[in-house]
Amino acid sequence: MSDFRITPQITLKTALQGCTRLVSRTITLEALPEGHVLHVLGKPGEPLSMARLEGLSDGTPHAVRAAGPGQWFIVGDRAKTHSELADLFAAIQPEAFGVDQSAGRIRIRASGPMVERMLAKGTAADLSLSHFPIGYATTTLIGHIGAHVTRVGADAFEIMVLRGFAQSLWDDLARMSGEFFED
Amino acid sequence: MASLVPCPHCGARPKEEFTIRGAALARPLANADPAAWMDFVYLRDNPRGRYEEHWHHTAGCRRWLVVTRDTTSHEIAASRDAALDTTGAPHP
Repeated sequence: MSDFRITPQITLKTALQGCTRLVSRTITLEALPEGHVLHVLGKPGEPLSMARLEGLSDGTPHAVRAAGPGQWFIVGDRAKTHSELADLFAAIQPEAFGVDQSAGRIRIRASGPMVERMLAKGTAADLSLSHFPIGYATTTLIGHIGAHVTRVGADAFEIMVLRGFAQSLWDDLARMSGEFFED
Repeated sequence: MASLVPCPHCGARPKEEFTIRGAALARPLANADPAAWMDFVYLRDNPRGRYEEHWHHTAGCRRWLVVTRDTTSHEIAASRDAALDTTGAPHP
């Protein structure tokens, strides 16, 4: 872990300024607080147990998400201090390494009965509840932007994207939701 | 078209999420004859029909895959993680 205490000083300005919430009867888009996003990199084939990582997370549902073989994201709404991060990263070694991505990735929540129809305009991942159950997470393209998608409820997804793409993805999601805002 | 590529980790995904490297060939030993290395690095057969290619799931799980694709029909017969051999065991 870096000795430089860069969080949260470089995140004084939020990535999604002025677009924090869009609500209609069938779709809600909201920017989630820029808390912590930790990338855990283990070895494929020797997986850390998800239960063990959940013990290290803040305990909220779906705080730990799979991100490809042997990799996870641990997320939460509260920013972590440098010493909390150091403790957590020490706890997962030597099986895995942790990288602080709190300033690098932005979370957006999309929910509502039409959320699958809306996201299906941008991604080819199968979003049906049978293939993409609650708690399942995957990385995919939404339009031309790579994003990590987690199903957090029957009608709710969390979309995590690199900070520099957050505004652009928000605009895309808003446009994809457009037909559901007209009523 | 091979527009939907089956990723063993992520399921069927569009080809736009992948980067194609080309034929999956057996790598010569480090001390092999320069001709064998010339062959491995530069020379390609461009076969007609089914052959194995390396695909990288760039916008997904970021794993290298070995995809068995037919160059005439673009049908995909199989895909596996490149870290595994054809039996599913890790490469030594």
